[in-house]
Amino acid sequence: SIAVIETNPRKLRALMLLMEAAERECVILRHALDKIAEIKSLLEERRIAAKMAGVYSDSDPPRKTMRRGVLMTLLQQSAMTLPLWIGKPGESPPPLCGATPASSDYVAKQGDKVAARVKSVEGDEQWILAEVVSYNHSTNKYEVDDIDEEGKERHMLSRRRIIPLPQWKANPETDPEALFSKDQLVLALYPQTTCFYRALIHTPPHRVRFYFDRRVCDGSNIPQSVNVAAPRGKKQTWRKR
Amino acid sequence: MSELKDCPPLKYYDFKPVEHVKVCPRYTAVLGRSEDDGIGIEELDTLQLELETLLSSATRRLRALEEQRQILTDWQDKKGDKRFLKLGKDPDPAASSRHKPKKQKLDGKGGHGPGQGPGRPKTKNLQPKVQEYEFTDDPQDIPRNPKNDAPNRFWASVEPYCADITNEEVRLLEELLKPPEDEADYFKIPALGKHYSQRWAQEDLLEEQREGARANDKKKSVMGGPLSELDAKDVDSLLKKSESQHESPEDGCPFGPLTQRLLQALVEENIISPMEDSPIPDISGKDANDGAGTSPRSQGKAFRLAKEEMRKQELRQRVRVSDNEVMEAFRRIMAARQKKRTPTKKEKDQAWKALKERESILKLLDG
Repeated sequence: SIAVIETNPRKLRALMLLMEAAERECVILRHALDKIAEIKSLLEERRIAAKMAGVYSDSDPPRKTMRRGVLMTLLQQSAMTLPLWIGKPGESPPPLCGATPASSDYVAKQGDKVAARVKSVEGDEQWILAEVVSYNHSTNKYEVDDIDEEGKERHMLSRRRIIPLPQWKANPETDPEALFSKDQLVLALYPQTTCFYRALIHTPPHRVRFYFDRRVCDGSNIPQSVNVAAPRGKKQTWRKR
Repeated sequence: MSELKDCPPLKYYDFKPVEHVKVCPRYTAVLGRSEDDGIGIEELDTLQLELETLLSSATRRLRALEEQRQILTDWQDKKGDKRFLKLGKDPDPAASSRHKPKKQKLDGKGGHGPGQGPGRPKTKNLQPKVQEYEFTDDPQDIPRNPKNDAPNRFWASVEPYCADITNEEVRLLEELLKPPEDEADYFKIPALGKHYSQRWAQEDLLEEQREGARANDKKKSVMGGPLSELDAKDVDSLLKKSESQHESPEDGCPFGPLTQRLLQALVEENIISPMEDSPIPDISGKDANDGAGTSPRSQGKAFRLAKEEMRKQELRQRVRVSDNEVMEAFRRIMAARQKKRTPTKKEKDQAWKALKERESILKLLDG
């Protein structure tokens, strides 16, 4: 039997030391991640600039539409590398993190991805994956581009038809409340398409990396609850019954 | 109280270090390169994911530690400074040496815990081998807050004065009052002995003789013997002379026994102040009177008072009983009223009877 008397002040000191070490580690890691985010945003800026230039210049030949497969891969890639929100102790997930909705006065910025409800020529409505071009404050309308450039033009849509997509992934281990829960109604991007469909959550993710197990199962006769958007960062595997 | 209660409820976290090679291969690879090699853009995504993993586990570790720190601080505050100071004195080289290996263990990054289902990652189970860490808080008793004892002590000290008189005590008083039977012995005045001056003179003489004998032994001279004898003879004649001259007064006091008693009674009643040079012998010099030294009269008074008090106590007891009866009757009547029927004659009679009884007892008491 051990008869050591552990003094509380020493324990406290030890804890403080460990905490300091962990904090230092966090700082360095965040710094690195910030750098990566910076690089990515620069790339994104370049892309948008190039796109804008491409749209407005008549002299250039029309841009070759991307092959579907390539697009899909890109989409998947960007979904996977949506930055993970890791809050400091005490911080809660911000809006547009996982299932956390945007604040009511949020305005999507140029280049942000949104789910847009567009009316097709036949008259039926569909939620498509789109990218914001601009926002008109006076008319409260967004100008969005279908991400799939194959022939679909630019849309001018009112705010109510636009749902901004999440900009952070929620960490299931630290912020489970920012995830959709089982049987919650969502709009989910159908795999290999650029359209959103109503779906029910089957299993929320429970690990951070590489095991996004959230499966969405088919649901029908569901009342409309459009305010819930599928968090794009979570991989969706459509399981057909 | 078990030791458990004395320790803050800390938990031991098993921070499994994240194995960089397995979980973060790109990261490890990149770290292995020199500065010149650089990082390709295509590697960014993978790196991002890996870094996120590391950050996530580090943050979790930080949160857990923060939690523990909070528990510890709260615990300390709860126990107060006393415990703090007491512990601070303990020399503790063992603890610091134990911290080092613990630190090394925790130095690696915390890893994913076993998938515990969505959203329940935080606390890990206690491991039995770490009991020493958890229960090594002070096993000595915490100095309890000094209980406020004063009221208890006060009531304890007052109790003998307020308690009911018991029969035993009455008996004691009775015995005290019993006129002592064999007082005749005490009345005899013993014969006068030798006057003290004579007695002391003789004793001194003997003392000198003894000393002289001792001195003689040391000196071993012949002269010692006849000298002491001479001295003794002288002293005796001296003493006899002094005796005849003296007219020693009686060793007792000049008053007779009756006068003595009278005087004592008068002194008792504070009429005459006690006189120092005429010692009044204590008549009732019984040792049962532990320092009481009372005269028969005062003893009788106490006895009478005690008897009266006992009677009163009895009456009070009866009052209490009749009180209860009155209360009973009252309750019965109230119950009857609740049930919305008038109280029966019987109940009314009972109530009146109880009341009357109580009143009579009270009258007796007051009288």
